[in-house]
Amino acid sequence: MKSLRSRFDVNGLVLPVILLLIWQVLAWRANTPLFPGPLQVAQSIAKLYPAILGELGHTLLRAAVSFVVAAVIFIPLGILLGRLRLLGALLEPAIDMLATLPPPAVVPIVMLFAGTGDGAKIVIIAYAAAVPLLMNTYEASRTIHPAANQVARVLNLTRLEAMWHIDLPASLPMIATGIRLAVSSALLVSVTSEMLLATNGIGVLIQRQQENFQIAGGLAAITFISLAGLIINSLVFEFEKRWLFWHYQGAGASGRGQTS
Amino acid sequence: MALETLLLRFRGPVSFLIIVLVWQIVASLQLVPEKYFPGIPAIASSFWTMLLSGELLTGDGLTLMRALIGLAGSVVIGVSLAILSDVSPVFRAGFQPIAALVQPIPPAALVPMAVFMLGLGAKLYAFIIILVTVWPPYLNGVAALAATGDVPMKTGRMLGLSDRDILFRIKLPAAMPEIFSGIRYAATISLIAVVVSEMLAGHDGLGFMLIRKAFATKIPDVYALMFVCALNGALINWLVNRARWQMTGWHIRMTERTP
Repeated sequence: MKSLRSRFDVNGLVLPVILLLIWQVLAWRANTPLFPGPLQVAQSIAKLYPAILGELGHTLLRAAVSFVVAAVIFIPLGILLGRLRLLGALLEPAIDMLATLPPPAVVPIVMLFAGTGDGAKIVIIAYAAAVPLLMNTYEASRTIHPAANQVARVLNLTRLEAMWHIDLPASLPMIATGIRLAVSSALLVSVTSEMLLATNGIGVLIQRQQENFQIAGGLAAITFISLAGLIINSLVFEFEKRWLFWHYQGAGASGRGQTS
Repeated sequence: MALETLLLRFRGPVSFLIIVLVWQIVASLQLVPEKYFPGIPAIASSFWTMLLSGELLTGDGLTLMRALIGLAGSVVIGVSLAILSDVSPVFRAGFQPIAALVQPIPPAALVPMAVFMLGLGAKLYAFIIILVTVWPPYLNGVAALAATGDVPMKTGRMLGLSDRDILFRIKLPAAMPEIFSGIRYAATISLIAVVVSEMLAGHDGLGFMLIRKAFATKIPDVYALMFVCALNGALINWLVNRARWQMTGWHIRMTERTP
């Protein structure tokens, strides 16, 4: 709670308030519904919030399902590739190449196989979440301290036991970074995929608002997306701190960067 | 053992060959209709025709150009914001909540709104790309500037450097490696942001070509374009890595000794 208080000190309010004022003044001067100010956006939020929350629910549910699918498939795969060195080294350039293929580029292909329903979107979102998960897990389990492997050998662990009892816990901090990146990219891509393969969800709502020239309504929906993203990201970070306390005790808070 | 070292030395091409082979086998097994999953020859030939007709190069050139210009802009803005945050506590306290709020907004959600405010031209692309990619350099920059070691700072003070000199000659160089890892991440997202905005609001470029070919069900073309997207990513990564070597080679040499 201490961090919450210090984040809301007076200094923190100066800049946002100035920016909001500038925005409002610009909107008054432009004086068209195509350039709404914060007041109009607030009005739209008051008017539209039941619809927005409902659609946001669809979006978040889909993002969550896809994330779980990606995690279940790609974390074990990453550990496997990190363990089987030759295979991992051979496939590493392939993974790197896959990582550079932007998720929206996959949309047209997935559309052919899976149509435009929930299945298609889940595949696309899972693909987006898979890349950081796979890369971070692979990198982590490849660079495990050799002493840990020697312990496994001394204890006569089988390959599978070693993966479960040693590789997984030792790679958890880096996997957690991957999870954080994967969660936020799942959120991003779920909205994108809804806009390209329209059925329901907050992406569709935004597009509908645009088609009716309700820019304020669209901005209201965007406000909700950003709040949801903020809450989810900080929840993920809280869980990470709670479950990986042993890692953060040793390393301070330095685990907070991007992927290497 | 000899085979293994040989494989590892050429692992780039080998990896590529494995993908091509697996792809071709899946395609020849006809598990999926050939119309949706064409073999490698079909994809290669449509790649070749698009390359010869010039549409591939112009489209891809536009996309890459947009991504690079946007990336350069957001690096300059992001690093300046990080420096500003480091200098002024009021700015930092005010900007952090804004960053936290704007960061999770997907680029796709911004496109429809931005179309009305900025039109369909270069301004739209610049706005979207910068708004999406400015955060990794900014966040990493703020963290790294704040984490400069005590010893270099005190050394600077002892040598009589002014605050400005300490900022530009000690803190900023020390923060460079971390800023660059942010830039690398931003490079990947900048490509994504360009392709998305082209798909949703463009009339040229790679993203637009992808959508148009998909709706015309020219499937081999779509796969060829996806391959080009992946190549773009590799290219932009390579460029950023080159720049990173130029600017922070000392750091890489220092850390790569412990593989």
